[in-house]
Parts: sequence; C-alpha cells; structure tokens
Amino acid sequence: MIVKDAVCPFCGCLCDDIEVEVEEGRVVAVTNACELGTTKFMGEKRMKNPILRDGDRWKDITYDEAVRYAADMLLEAERPLMYGWSGTHGEAQCVGVHMAELIRGVIDNTSSVCHGPSILAIQEVGHPGCTLGVVKNRADLVIYWGSNPIDAHPRHLSRYTRYAEGFFLENAFRDRKVIVVDVRKTETANIADEFVQIKPGGDYAVLSALRAIVQGKTDTIPRTVAGVTREQLVRVANLCLNAKFGAVYFGLGLTMTRGKYKNIRNAIELVSELSRHTKFTISAMRGHYNVYGSNEVNTWMTGYPFGIDFSRGIAFYNPGETTAVDILARKECDAALIVGSDPAAHFPRKCLEHLAEIPVVQLDPYPNATTAFCNVQIPVAVTGIDAEGTAYRMDGVPIRTRKVISSDYPSDEEILARMYALMQEARER
Amino acid sequence: MTYLMLTGRTVNQGVTVENKTSAEYAAETSTCFMHEFDMMELGLDDRDTVRVTGPCGEVVMRATASPEVEMGTVFVPYGPYANHIVAAGTCSTGMPDFKSHKVEIEPTDEEPKLVHELMEDLGGLAYDR
Repeated sequence: MIVKDAVCPFCGCLCDDIEVEVEEGRVVAVTNACELGTTKFMGEKRMKNPILRDGDRWKDITYDEAVRYAADMLLEAERPLMYGWSGTHGEAQCVGVHMAELIRGVIDNTSSVCHGPSILAIQEVGHPGCTLGVVKNRADLVIYWGSNPIDAHPRHLSRYTRYAEGFFLENAFRDRKVIVVDVRKTETANIADEFVQIKPGGDYAVLSALRAIVQGKTDTIPRTVAGVTREQLVRVANLCLNAKFGAVYFGLGLTMTRGKYKNIRNAIELVSELSRHTKFTISAMRGHYNVYGSNEVNTWMTGYPFGIDFSRGIAFYNPGETTAVDILARKECDAALIVGSDPAAHFPRKCLEHLAEIPVVQLDPYPNATTAFCNVQIPVAVTGIDAEGTAYRMDGVPIRTRKVISSDYPSDEEILARMYALMQEARER
Repeated sequence: MTYLMLTGRTVNQGVTVENKTSAEYAAETSTCFMHEFDMMELGLDDRDTVRVTGPCGEVVMRATASPEVEMGTVFVPYGPYANHIVAAGTCSTGMPDFKSHKVEIEPTDEEPKLVHELMEDLGGLAYDR
C-alpha cells in the first residue's frame, strides 16, 4: 500500500508531499523525503514496553503501572518540571499544560535551547514574517544567516528557495539570489551567490554595519567588521536594497552565540530598516517538526510561549529562571516528566547530574540518552507514523500529520490523558 | 592549545538522532572537526583521538580534518560528547553558550567512551537491547 501526501515529522519544514510504502504494517520505502525524514519513517528500534528502573537493572512493567507511577510522581513532587513537547502533537501539548497547572509545575519546551532567544527578540520588536509559500513565489533574494539548511532542513532549498520555482519569477534559479552568512564555510555556503564569512561572535557588529549602510552612513564603516570587508558589506546591502522581495532565514548561529536574543533583535531591526526601501521579511529556521506548535499551544493556553511556572497558581514566565536548563542546573526541581525530547543528549552535564538524583519519567518511542536517567520510560506511538495529530510548520501554518501505519502503541495524548485523569481524581479526593 | 568550540547539526547527526544507542550516533557526535593546519600543529592524523577540556570537564573525541572550519575553531555535532564539557550558565536567557566555548585540545591515547558510558559516569543506568 502506498500512502500519498504523508507529512514528515522530522524538522520544521513539515514536508507534506511524502509517499510512504507500507507492507504488512511496516514502512518499506519512502519517496520525496530527505535523508533525515526517510530514516525517521524507516526507524525500527522502538522500545517494546514500559520499563522501570529497579536498582541496577531494568524491569518490564505494564502501561497501567507506568501511568500510575508517573501520576504519583508528579502529585508528590513539590516542584515538578515537565520538559520537551516539540516532538509530539498539539493535542498532547494541551494535556501537558493542563497537568502543569493542576500540579503547579513548570512546563518548558525545547525552544528554550533553540529559538527561545528569537522569541525574546520578537517580544521586544515584533516579527515581520510570512509563510513559506510567499517566499517561494515572490522572493528574489534569500539570506540564510547562521543556518545551514543542507544539513538541518535539507528540503528548504528545493521546496522554497534556491531550487524552487516561483510564480512571480520568470526563471527562479537565475532570478533568485541566495546569500549565506556564517562563521563556517558550510555546504550551504557553497551553493550561495554570496558567502559572507564572519568571525565567531561578530554577528551583532555585522548586522549593525549593514543597518548603518542602509541608513546611508557608509562612511562610518571601518575597513573590516568582524572579518567582513567594507566592500562586501556594501555589496550585500545593495543586493538587499535592489531586491523586490527579500527573505531572511536565521538559525541557531544567532541564538546560541553571545548576545543571543540581542543578535535576533538587531536582525529584525535590519529587516524593518530594509522594509522602508523595499519588502523584506525574517523568520526562524525552527528545528523540531512541532516546536513551533509547543510555543503556539503554550501561548494560547497560558499567554507565554515556553518556560511557564505555575507555582504561584498563575502562569509566570521569566526565561533564565523558569527555563529547564536553569532549573536543573540550580538543582531546583524534585521530579521531571520528559515528553518528545532528549535532554540528556542536549543539555550541559550539570543538568544531567541533577536528573540522576530525582525521579524521571519519559514518554518516548525509542531508547535514548535520557533513558539512562529514567525511573520509568513509556514507549509511545510516533506522531506522523503511527499516530496522527496537529503540528505547526516553521512559518506557523498548522498541518495535520497523518498515520501511515497502525500499531499497538498508545499516542502521547492517550498516555498523558490517562495520567491527567488519575491526577484529577487524586486532587478531588 | 586553546580553540573555540562550536556545536551544530550535521546530516549524520540528524540521521542517527532517533537511534542514540547506535555506534553511528556515537561516532558522529564524538567527532571534533578541525582545520588541517591545527591538526598538523598538534601532530594529529585523521581519526586520532584528542582530549577536549572545557569549563566543566573533559571528554575524549576523534579529530577529523574539515575544510568548513577556520583555524582556531573546532566544530562538534550536537550531542552528549560536546555537552559533557559545556557549561550550564545561560546569562538569564535559558540558553547555554552552545556555540562559544573555549576549549583546550591535546592528543591522547584514550578511546572515546560510548554514549551510555558517559551517562553512567553522571549517575545514569544504561538500557540496551
């Protein structure tokens, strides 16, 4: 059987043109997806049943026992942390927020270690963004700044920019210019019309220099700015000013370096400067397929996009204080529920040292690095493969992911709803 | 010698990210991509092991020459090896300095640990089957 128009649950591109061939309940071939998506669809090393850590060994337990363990752990905790959420669907994220409110916990998603700083900048100066379709059809200039789509979002270039057709472009490949700004000469830099190589940590200065040139103050620019020559800066500024429609896509090269959200703020302000002369937009290259959704769901339910602390009985948000890395590094939480992410692989070691000291329950289809720190892991269906649900693409468009095979694994939403029901029952008693 | 360590996504890291117990994931995330002149200076051949020391610990990786990085800079794919030495400070933003850590690199005869060994060093218990 061939499932057409399946949605790929890997990166924020959420490609919705995937063909998946299924035989006897297994995915046997994938067409149209990139290497990342294909491997995810074909992945087979699932955990078979819930496991419980019993001293120095692992014991198989039932779903009922695992759900009860998780509910009791969260009810007993004084300061529970509920982290992850970008590797699951919106319906499960909703249950997560309700649970956090009930137990007065902290709920944070993976954007605090990816585009959290971008959101902080957007809260300061706004987000002049647009959908990917607008860029595909209209943009005659695309800038990738601190992002490397060939490795991280492989089909972004072929579906929307470098190699895509454009309705309002006669010959998109010839008429659309691509600029790459990075500290490394990545594969993406090799296919750019113009590569701007910045010294590490120099993004803020280069953005400021470009803003000055766009404002007509070229004579104030020194001969080089963070390793970039004045001539190249002027050339790039002119490419921007002469474009009919420019689109900036920025990645973690801006959010993870010194300056963090101030880098993004400067980039957004460059875009608003350019929009006084022509049309320009800017958007983040979101990583997980539904990290944008976790921000959406949290925002419409609590008013805040990530790092929400319910300990006061109301939603409180203070990144740096109520975000997962900080809470773990301060050894503050006394239990953790991890859903759809792997903090043990992606957090600094100090955070893991605390995870080893507290009870941890994880919902994840696969054994991962965090498994080692779990008291209980509950294997669930993979959204977009054997569960369906809503995910938000990197440009904020909600897309319903499809189920391409059936399995006996419960979805994240089912498991969380069962936990939530037990917790409500206990609180009402 | 002191270098600036950046971390980031690679295709191979993404392909193996849902299979973290695999040898391929360990191999990719324990690779330290360096400029060939820096490797020459340290007397390193491709795939030689190096001890990388950061602000909160050390970890053994394998050096590989890459035309993508500048001299003085090294690149390590996102994962448990780089994070073993990354500091948890976030300057009140929630985000650690994943792309701006100063590290010391020296040749070593030790082999990189497996992912589950790193986790067990920090108090975890490996699960494998």
